[in-house]
Amino acid sequence: MTAAPQVQPVPSEDVQSPPHRPRPSRSRPGAGLTPGWLPWVLQAPALLVLGGLLVYPLVRVGVLAFQDFGLRELVTGEVSWVGLDNFKEVLSDPLLWKVALPNTAVFAAVNVMLTVAIGTAVALLLARLGGWARGFLTSAIMVAWAMPAVSGTYIWVFVFDSRDGFVMRLLGQLGLIDPETTNWFTERLPFYAIATANVVHHGFPFVAVTVLAGLMTVPKEMLEAAAIDGAGPWQRFRFITFPVLKPVFAVVTILSTIWDFKVFTQIYLMPGGSGTNREVLNLGTWSYITAISQNRYGLGAAIAVLLTLLLLVITMVYLRTLFRQEEL
Amino acid sequence: MTRSPSSRYWVALGFVVVLTFSLGPVLIMLSTAFDARANDGSRSLLPTDLTLDNFAFVLDEGGFVTYLRNSLVVALSTVVVSGALALLASVAVSRFRFRFRTSILVMVLVVQMVPLEALVIPLFIQAKTLGMLNHLIGLVVVYVAFSLPFAIWTLRGFVSAVPRELEEAAYVDGASWLRMFWSVLFPLVAPGLVATSVFSFIVAWNEFVFAITFLNDQQSYTVAAGLRQFFTQYGTNWGAVMAGSTLITLPVMIFFIIVQRRLSEGLVAGAVKG
Repeated sequence: MTAAPQVQPVPSEDVQSPPHRPRPSRSRPGAGLTPGWLPWVLQAPALLVLGGLLVYPLVRVGVLAFQDFGLRELVTGEVSWVGLDNFKEVLSDPLLWKVALPNTAVFAAVNVMLTVAIGTAVALLLARLGGWARGFLTSAIMVAWAMPAVSGTYIWVFVFDSRDGFVMRLLGQLGLIDPETTNWFTERLPFYAIATANVVHHGFPFVAVTVLAGLMTVPKEMLEAAAIDGAGPWQRFRFITFPVLKPVFAVVTILSTIWDFKVFTQIYLMPGGSGTNREVLNLGTWSYITAISQNRYGLGAAIAVLLTLLLLVITMVYLRTLFRQEEL
Repeated sequence: MTRSPSSRYWVALGFVVVLTFSLGPVLIMLSTAFDARANDGSRSLLPTDLTLDNFAFVLDEGGFVTYLRNSLVVALSTVVVSGALALLASVAVSRFRFRFRTSILVMVLVVQMVPLEALVIPLFIQAKTLGMLNHLIGLVVVYVAFSLPFAIWTLRGFVSAVPRELEEAAYVDGASWLRMFWSVLFPLVAPGLVATSVFSFIVAWNEFVFAITFLNDQQSYTVAAGLRQFFTQYGTNWGAVMAGSTLITLPVMIFFIIVQRRLSEGLVAGAVKG
């Protein structure tokens, strides 16, 4: 077991750093040609943009959450502070506890589990395939990955549409439902089941490709030795593959959690998702609709702050996992 | 390891299931987009009557010629600006040791996690105050900010991969830092720049939340925002929706196929430094 190679996680959904790393301890030749202010000049434009468009708005949304900011304030630029009123209103709203929070958290939990499980299964399948079959299937899941959220959502809506959808018509012909009176988008559970199909379809390829890359590092000798000792496929996965791939699983799980917590487009574009059906609001759509559609910017900001805090906790876990694995 | 016939059967079944799940939605999109009877409730899964009418309708009456041009302008501007900024910043963080270097890297990672919904409220207020609503430049600035963290993080790996010896050789030959950057570093990092450009393009091309929030004048719609007009209270023109979706999806898929090999190689390199 000690011969297990070092498996390092993917820091993000990206094309990652090749093996060479700068050697920090060595004194840099040519250092006399590069003055100390050079790195700051090089990164100044990027830092300005990140600061002005990501960090500053984040501070601003935190400030807005303590203000009563509506259309009047937007026009006049006046500010009226209301302390914790917005948070009190949100936290005492049954909509938060009965609708928005469960729709966000339960949905994320279910989707992360499904995405990681299906992604891993597909990775194991790809590892078993050889030659053209693997290349072909990899291209196919890339197509699923490349599908933009907007068109992807419209397709899933179309498939389950009560008037024109294939699924409805098929079930109607089988006599299981009455297509005239059934609308799956009006009720919470079927609504989110359709959203789950959409999100998992878009999310599993990343898990599959990453886990497949990790699978390549599992030493064949260990698997063979285990097979000779009588371990079945499940035992080999459970006691050899899974421990070796643990860091990879940690990262894909946390990244999927972050993505699934902040789904917006996939919910907003479904029938009723843009506010007409309050049963299907999640934290993201609730915040957006409150602020942008109802012009209650302060209250919407308070909801957004809650969502951001939730994500911050998850991000902390992500960073701790990452820092344990890789020196920046 | 021995493979029993039954396990081969399971692999074949898995292959078919994964293939269907992956490609099904795309095939439905394409078959509906090319179907003359797309809005007929009784249509079959495969079109019986092939046509380009849906595309003609979307481009002409749907205004997609304008929307496609807007999207292209926004996406290409985003690619150029964010590529340039990310390249400079990634050189700074991977080639120099300076104070706050780690803090900046951590910040770059953390801001990726910020939900769009939290940013859209203050940025909407800001854009409205500055009179930037309905201007494509406002979108470009926002998309540059969104694509930067990922681009910096990715390019950082490519820059680190260039051997320092090459830089040193340039210095020995009397090159200044700027000359070294342009003649040595830039050509070697160019493939990485291609990969990050593709991702910046996709961010800008696919983005929806800011597009519908910042733009309410039809002339300035991007494709993602333009699709919504085919949903009316009288019903949905599914043929048009799917034709429009096809126009949005195809460029992204072509780009994905271009970077696919680099992407899997990169994931392998990043995930499993053995």
